[in-house]
Amino acid sequence: MKILLVEDNSRLSDDIRQFLEEDGFIVAQAENFALAREKLDLYQYDAVIIDIGLPDGSGLDLIPLIREMESDTGILIVTARNAVEDKVAGLNRGADDYLTKPFHKAELIARVRSILRRHKSSRNNVLQFNNLQIDTAASQVYIGEKTLKLTRKEYDLLLYFMYNPNRLLTKENIAEHLWGDHIDQADNFDFVYNHIKNLRKKIVNAGGENYIHAMYGMGYKFSETS
Amino acid sequence: MKRPRSFKLLSKTTFIYLIFTFIAFYSSALFLTKEADEFIDHDLEISYGYMERRVTRQIKSGKSLEEISKRAETIKLTAAPLSGQYPVYQDTLIADEESGELLPYRSKTTVIAVDSSYYQVHILKSVDDFYSLRDDIFEALIPAFLFLALGILLFNVLVGGYLFRPFNAILTAMKNYQIGLGVKAEKISTSTTEFNRMQNLFHQMVERIELDYRHLKEYTENMAHEIQTPLAVIRNKAEILMADEKVMTHQAGNIKVIYDEGNQLSRLSDTLNLLTKIENSEFKDQQLITTRPIVEKHVAAIQELAELKSFKISTDLSDDHQLLIDPFLFDIVLKNLLRNALRYGTNEGPISINTDERHLSISNFGAPLKVPFEKLLERFYHNGNGNASLGLGLSLVKEICDKHRLVLDYQYRDGQHVISIRPGK
Repeated sequence: MKILLVEDNSRLSDDIRQFLEEDGFIVAQAENFALAREKLDLYQYDAVIIDIGLPDGSGLDLIPLIREMESDTGILIVTARNAVEDKVAGLNRGADDYLTKPFHKAELIARVRSILRRHKSSRNNVLQFNNLQIDTAASQVYIGEKTLKLTRKEYDLLLYFMYNPNRLLTKENIAEHLWGDHIDQADNFDFVYNHIKNLRKKIVNAGGENYIHAMYGMGYKFSETS
Repeated sequence: MKRPRSFKLLSKTTFIYLIFTFIAFYSSALFLTKEADEFIDHDLEISYGYMERRVTRQIKSGKSLEEISKRAETIKLTAAPLSGQYPVYQDTLIADEESGELLPYRSKTTVIAVDSSYYQVHILKSVDDFYSLRDDIFEALIPAFLFLALGILLFNVLVGGYLFRPFNAILTAMKNYQIGLGVKAEKISTSTTEFNRMQNLFHQMVERIELDYRHLKEYTENMAHEIQTPLAVIRNKAEILMADEKVMTHQAGNIKVIYDEGNQLSRLSDTLNLLTKIENSEFKDQQLITTRPIVEKHVAAIQELAELKSFKISTDLSDDHQLLIDPFLFDIVLKNLLRNALRYGTNEGPISINTDERHLSISNFGAPLKVPFEKLLERFYHNGNGNASLGLGLSLVKEICDKHRLVLDYQYRDGQHVISIRPGK
């Protein structure tokens, strides 16, 4: 899976590249509009991550270029929070999704995977972790042969973990993913803990293992061993 | 507050002008009649003098008193008159012999001395012509004044509209002008100096305000993009460290602090930016929105959070409740009010969200406030329950309400905090 990352801040760009590479993506970087355009002309990418504020132009203007050339490329735009116009403009021009800065690494991975899944539909819609399976097309979870009945939020939470196995997800990160800014930061603990507890219980009751481990009081990690 | 009554400039000037003309006409009428009076007096005096000299001549020539001119009754006095007793002037009306019309006369009674005898002479003179002349002057001035007044009023109505057309056009241009759209205020061409000065001043002011607006907008945009990038780097680095088990076993606490503070800073700058953008009126998408579906969406979004805290949510929503507000900002208002209710409410009873034609109210149970509600609207107010919350939520709500002329009310009744929003006047 090839991804083009358009971001002018080299440190941020390198970090994101590192995250994506850890997850097995091949990442090309472009630090300005001109470079991004050149690369888009030369190569094909499965997904493009675009920061809107570029030194020599608006990342928004890249979207129609991509859409003209290759309609199957996933586009994720990165905007400042509360920049409503940018979000709307980006989505209107054909971006698949947006992410507000600063974002969690896990959130980025989840969004990219979800976009890729939508674009390369039908083939690749099952996620697997040991005997745990998620069919994202049908929103179904299986443990072995058994179907696991989850609430909407529990499903979202499990999917988030499955997109980010073996990675520490902080409580803030999880809360933000599940509830956006409907949640007061001070309440993270209880809410996240409640969901984790219920999800664990359901998985264990259905014969699965407890894959969700608390880490250093900061968050949780989805892995075989703690 | 009672506003003092105001008048149109043109009506005012017309009114003042009319008063001035009236005074001018009135005083010139007074002057002219006075002049006429003096002229009459002078002319009569000459006639009287002529008559007196004639009577004197006739007495000297030995004519009997009866024979002397009919128009000068002459009586011989037995003694010398007291000084200052004569002459006596008197205005009388005497019927005309032919028409019987009463006509004005003026008589002069005086004494003449002829050869050491004294004669009283009573001379009668018609002043009809003089008086008609004087009255004609006065009477001619009244219609002249009325004509002029009518003329001025007509001018006011017909020409005033024309003269003030550029002024009204400038006012309309001012009214229609909106900051930050990048459209210059319409320029009205006029040859009236005052209007041009006013318009130029307006354009200069607009330019300054426009510049301020742009600077602030750029500032918030820069803040949003440029501050968030390093913050993203900090967060990413912290996450990289978190992934490193060796580091975590020793430094989990420190990393958590860096991570938490970074997040706090990021939320803080987001929210402050949002506040500044609202203050700078950068959200212009005001619409009349029916709130019911939006409120329902938000309630659905927090339903599950409420259940986790074993809160009940009760709603009583009216289909008729509408607000004129930017939808994005209305989302923020709802999010913040609901978040507050969830955070500070106690589960003695449900969180209720009610709307009727005018009001939107959100209430939750809880102990009475220890400080006045206004205090909670201040930025960075914390009630001491830890500092995880920014203390900006209600400030945001207040700011948004102010910008949309909405009134934010607070009441504490039956153990519940009720915050309501209604349109202001």
